[in-house]
Amino acid sequence: MILLQLLINGLVTGCALGVVAISFALVYATTKIFHVAHAGVYTLAGYIAWMLASHGVPDVLALAAAVVVCAAVGALIQSQLYARLERRRATHLVVLIASLGLLAVMQNILAAVFSPNILQFPVLWGSRIIALGGIRLTYSQLLTVVVCLAAYVGVMWFAYATPLGKRIRAVASNPFLAQITRLQPNAVYVYVVAIASAIVALPGVLVPLDLGLQPYGGITPLLTATIAMIAGGVGSISGAFMLSIVIAVLQNLSLLVIPGEWSIGITFFIFVIFMLFRPTGLFAAAR
Amino acid sequence: MIRAIGAVAMLAAGILICGAASADTILLGAVLPLTGPAAVVGTQEMRGIQFAIDATNAKGGVQGNKVEVQFEDNQAKADQAVLIFNKLVDLQHIPMMFVGYSGPTLAMAPLATRKKVLMVNAGAQADKLSTASPYLVNTLPSTGDEVKVMSKYLIEQGKKNAAVLFENDAPGIGGRDDFVDLFPKAGGTVLAQEPAQFGQTDYRPALLKLAAAKPDVLYVVITAGMPSLVQQLHQMNPDFLVAGSTFMADPAAIADPASNGIIHTQVQIDAPPDLATAFKAKYGNDMDFFARQYYNAAQIVLTVLDKLASEKQPVTGETMHDMLFRIHRFQGLIPMEFNSNTATVPIGINEMKDGKDVTLKQVMAQ
Repeated sequence: MILLQLLINGLVTGCALGVVAISFALVYATTKIFHVAHAGVYTLAGYIAWMLASHGVPDVLALAAAVVVCAAVGALIQSQLYARLERRRATHLVVLIASLGLLAVMQNILAAVFSPNILQFPVLWGSRIIALGGIRLTYSQLLTVVVCLAAYVGVMWFAYATPLGKRIRAVASNPFLAQITRLQPNAVYVYVVAIASAIVALPGVLVPLDLGLQPYGGITPLLTATIAMIAGGVGSISGAFMLSIVIAVLQNLSLLVIPGEWSIGITFFIFVIFMLFRPTGLFAAAR
Repeated sequence: MIRAIGAVAMLAAGILICGAASADTILLGAVLPLTGPAAVVGTQEMRGIQFAIDATNAKGGVQGNKVEVQFEDNQAKADQAVLIFNKLVDLQHIPMMFVGYSGPTLAMAPLATRKKVLMVNAGAQADKLSTASPYLVNTLPSTGDEVKVMSKYLIEQGKKNAAVLFENDAPGIGGRDDFVDLFPKAGGTVLAQEPAQFGQTDYRPALLKLAAAKPDVLYVVITAGMPSLVQQLHQMNPDFLVAGSTFMADPAAIADPASNGIIHTQVQIDAPPDLATAFKAKYGNDMDFFARQYYNAAQIVLTVLDKLASEKQPVTGETMHDMLFRIHRFQGLIPMEFNSNTATVPIGINEMKDGKDVTLKQVMAQ
């Protein structure tokens, strides 16, 4: 039973990480920007929802508001920071450092405004428990799985079945050709970062609903999601999502045989070895 | 050259005049974390001290002398604390300072011994603080003292097999080491132990692993993330008792009905209702454990100063230290005795029940 419960816990964590990974992958594959500030947007989403829920706003509206605000913040980041840097011919390293700087600013503002303490959502239903056989899940865990799976399916549908999705894939595939065929890559980049920010707001709210909010809480999910994206094959949405689940499940199950302090290190060591043999990632062919 | 020396001398004299308190003012120091992750605790500690000092000054001070405390921010960092210590002692000749947090306090302890400056700690609990310096006095017991009390209680309750969940940092590892050492001495067995990172809030995998060892009791030594832990324990519906130390007394966790049945040791220090109300009116916050602790510590220091003034003794670190041990017994918010550098105070075994922390038993422990 412990094995099954660890497996389920890994699936829940993996689904949330998977959405972080696919949203990060969407930005990276299209803009080629290593958008570290995505971790700040993820964290911001939780604080917006927490603030609204604390003021009596219905939970669904708080989540929706977080999604909208994060989309706007994402659009601002692309149009006012990354696009300006690109116009000034900044290198990828400069853009990465700017993104890191923005992340630090966002985290510090959140810590200053909301305190560095761990905050709990004032939502009682989130901790209610559903027992399925010997497996016990909270409502918030169950909601995380449902919403994140829906987000994955939604992103796949958006990328392959909508005109904007096809346009984004075209820009990602060849920005130069997209430019001369009037696909307006710069506008697409703004859409992509806004959409990715809206998507990452979902786990950004649902995970803290279960585990609490911290201003510096976005870095570990982003690090894991980045590794999942690379191991899954850059550009592969399914690869990033599935590898996130695999990593989370491995981290949970590894506890059965090794002490907790080694869990993250050993899991990532396995992936380092894996990358040595398949550096393009597991699903690279699916690009 | 002579002009330059003269200018430096005048500047130095100016600094000394500005830094020194006036003749009827006793200037003390406080080196606490006022910014950074520990600022929440440090700010409450500062308020506790200031609240006590303000009350005394409003009544005319100590034998007619006003008392001032210069608060300095160590950011809970040892290197910052040492710099501030030197500034307060060498430039401003401060005889005594309030301190908190184990790392910074341990870093300042050798300096306090060398420069004979009294340090009063009312918040940190590392075992090493008890013997770090003859000039460091602790107004609360060490983690080891609490573990000793809890170990004995658990064995009395027939809980002889334990698992330990600890935070993988100095306070957590210290608490784990104490438990692994003292629980077997009390007659118990430690079956398993599992770490959690500081700030981590997903304890489920570790809890599942520890539960698989089938303990009678889970001893928890984590300093942050209690509300999440309480909910995840409730989700597990464990068949073992959950126990811990003062670290567990997080008001949010206590208020959560999911914490029902969790027991923990707690230094017993309560504020009278009128005092708590006045504190809240002044600062807008409840007078929490740390505010009460430092209010109490400030009262001890004020008592020492009062006695020194009445005997017309000079206020130095040495005289304050000697007077504190001469007075020996204090009645602030709690009765307290100094038989060594760490006070003998009551430790309670508390149970979280229906949103409240109920004392089951109280023992005096050093």
